[in-house]
Order: sequence, then C-alpha cells, then structure tokens
Amino acid sequence: MELGVQYLFVALVLVGGGMAALSRHVLYNIVGLGISLFGMAGLFLQLGSPFVAAMQLLIYLGGITVAIVFAMMLSIAMTLDPPTRTPVKTGFAAVAALTFGVGLHGLIGTASFAAAPPAPTDAWAVAHIGSALLERYNLVFETLSVVLLLAIIGAILIARPDRRGDAA
Amino acid sequence: MNLESFLLLSLVLFSLGLFAVLAHRNLIAVLIGVELMMNAASLNLMAFNRFSVTDPVTGQVFVLIIIGLAAAEVAIFLSIILNLYRTRRTIDAEQLTELKG
Repeated sequence: MELGVQYLFVALVLVGGGMAALSRHVLYNIVGLGISLFGMAGLFLQLGSPFVAAMQLLIYLGGITVAIVFAMMLSIAMTLDPPTRTPVKTGFAAVAALTFGVGLHGLIGTASFAAAPPAPTDAWAVAHIGSALLERYNLVFETLSVVLLLAIIGAILIARPDRRGDAA
Repeated sequence: MNLESFLLLSLVLFSLGLFAVLAHRNLIAVLIGVELMMNAASLNLMAFNRFSVTDPVTGQVFVLIIIGLAAAEVAIFLSIILNLYRTRRTIDAEQLTELKG
C-alpha cells in the first residue's frame, strides 16, 4: 500500500516532467509542470515532511504556476504559432542532457552515502522548523525576506508600462 | 524506496529540465525548464534529509528557502518577459539577438 502510493507519486512526477519538457505547446508545458509539482508534494509527504509538502502546494502550485499562466495570457504566447524547432538544436540539447544524466548517474554509482540512524519522530514537528528559522537560521530568513521585497519592487519597476523620465 | 531511487528520480527530472532549457525557443517554456531543475534539487535535498542526516530540520529549511527564492526568480523573469513582449512583440529566444557579438 505504502509502496503503491509512492510509485503513484513517482509516476506523476515523471509524466508531468515529460509533458513539461517535451511538449510543443506552452499550455501543455504548464499543465505538466503542475502535475509534476503535485507529485513532488506527495513525495515530500512520503519523505516525512507535511509542512514542506503544504508549502510546495501553496507557493509552487498555487502561486508560481498561476503566475506563469497569467504571463502566458498577457503575452499572448498561446495564440502565436509555436516556433518551429530546428532538429539540429533539439538534437544537441538531447545529447547535452543525456551526457549530463549519464555522467551524473555514474558519479552517483561510485559514491557511497552513510546512512544515519533514524531521527526521533518528534524531530519532524513543525515547531522545530519554526524555532530553527527564528534562531539558528535567522540570518537566512531575514535575507530571504529582503530578497522577496526587492523582487517585488524590481518586478513592478520592470513591468510598468510608462516610465516618465526614461530617455528611451 | 531508498536513497538511490530518489536520487535517480531527481536526476531524470533535472535532465528533463536541462533539455527543456536548451531546446525550447519560447521563453516561458525555458522558465518551466528552470523550475523543473529547481524541483529536482529540492527533491535531492529532501531525500538526503530523510536518509542520511541526523537533524531533519536543516534540509526542510533549505527546501523552504529554495521555494522562496524560486518565487522571487519567477516574479522577475515574468516581468522581464512581459516587458520584452511589449517592446519587441516576441518572446522567441532566438530573435533577441541585440547583444550578439
């Protein structure tokens, strides 16, 4: 039962990733990304972290995917003709991705990972994440909030249509 | 599932993302490839966090930071795409060649 659920999520991740990477139409790419993200959230749940799985669903699936759909609708990428792919470029991309994948697979085969003793179950509680974010990883947390603020301001500045005082 | 199978899954996902970034001409599809690669990295970190780390808080915090940074990156990328579309009327990566040497 447990293993069946895991394989279901793995299949979702793989099918979604394949759709996102290989399809020609942008809308299919986005739907594939959504399926893949959903399966990934399920895998996070299986790996023992319901909080990260919920954040994956909320921010990635609910925020980022919807933002990409908005951008696609605003830039009318749907109604444009899908750009014709040159087989040379696709071939080189496939060769590069395959080389990377096979090489990294060989590296994983040579490495040996020490297995840690299983942590006590209460170490996975959300309260530990909260206290770690505000104590040990306080600097990272604050830096991330500054980065997000700068990203919002930068996105508004870049996407604003009329810029008075702009020489161009 | 053990650690190696999770690593293999994230490897496949990363390769798919790399292929999408290299092969697609639509900038939105390129962005989707970048997102696939980031998710592969997150899955890697969570798998290591589960199987070979004594304190499971570290990897979860790491993945949360990745998700936050991905949100910021997507906001900037999409605003650049919208601006490109307004000024150039295209989001084809191969027609944006002003800086080509």
